[in-house]
Amino acid sequence: MVDAPEKQSPLRDLAMPRQIGTEANVELTERLCDSLVQVQAWPNSVGKVEKILKTLKRCVTMPSGPGRWLIEGEEEGLEEGLRRELTDDLGAVTGLTHARVVISISGPRATRVLASGIALDFDESNFAVGSTQLAHHHEIGLTIHRLAEDQFDLYVFTSLSRSFWQWIEKASAEYGCRIV
Amino acid sequence: MRLTCPYCGSRDHQEFTYRGDATAVRPALNNTSIDDHNAYIFDRSNPDGVHQELWNHTSGCRTHLVVERNTVTHEVLSCKPVGPFARKLK
Repeated sequence: MVDAPEKQSPLRDLAMPRQIGTEANVELTERLCDSLVQVQAWPNSVGKVEKILKTLKRCVTMPSGPGRWLIEGEEEGLEEGLRRELTDDLGAVTGLTHARVVISISGPRATRVLASGIALDFDESNFAVGSTQLAHHHEIGLTIHRLAEDQFDLYVFTSLSRSFWQWIEKASAEYGCRIV
Repeated sequence: MRLTCPYCGSRDHQEFTYRGDATAVRPALNNTSIDDHNAYIFDRSNPDGVHQELWNHTSGCRTHLVVERNTVTHEVLSCKPVGPFARKLK
């Protein structure tokens, strides 16, 4: 098997640590996943796949559609492990480690920044802490995972991440932003 | 206009892609009539009133929906999932 290429930041210079404005009501960070995998179960094997996914350790499992999950693992090799467990008759496993970049946003104004550009109800009655929502910003698809009231991980397509970053940085600058 | 995706909930219609008339029926595979295939692809009745349309939640869960919509008032009467996962979403 050919080794996976070294992970590279798609944002590069854009995400250089700096302060924008005098305050820091929003904090932005770029994060590259150690392992990111999409699992799609077949309609008649959703239950079996769910049982297998529940046994995963040190992983964040985010539902992303009917019978579909996006799974981020803290260790490399998640994809190979899932391929062994999830045979072709149960579902499909797709490695997305290099296809997504995580943009983390936190701070007292984080929710307001996101709500200014993403048509989604960010109230906790609709978007609870720990849950995941799928949305888009100007045709750029986003998987949004809420980690705390004012802390989100946004899984963005690598190839469109520079464009999305330019928006989120400008939107955050209004409130004072620190890039770390 | 907002559509209620059975998986994601109420969302702006910009998250969805219009996929055409949901009432058009593809001719049988052994039907070689060029007129029937031409009618299936091109002929649409363009009704004013209640109409069934196919939409796909492209910026969300990617579920196909049959949306019953009034083409005059834009009132959305129902959004029903179709495809292999439809039974699980109802």
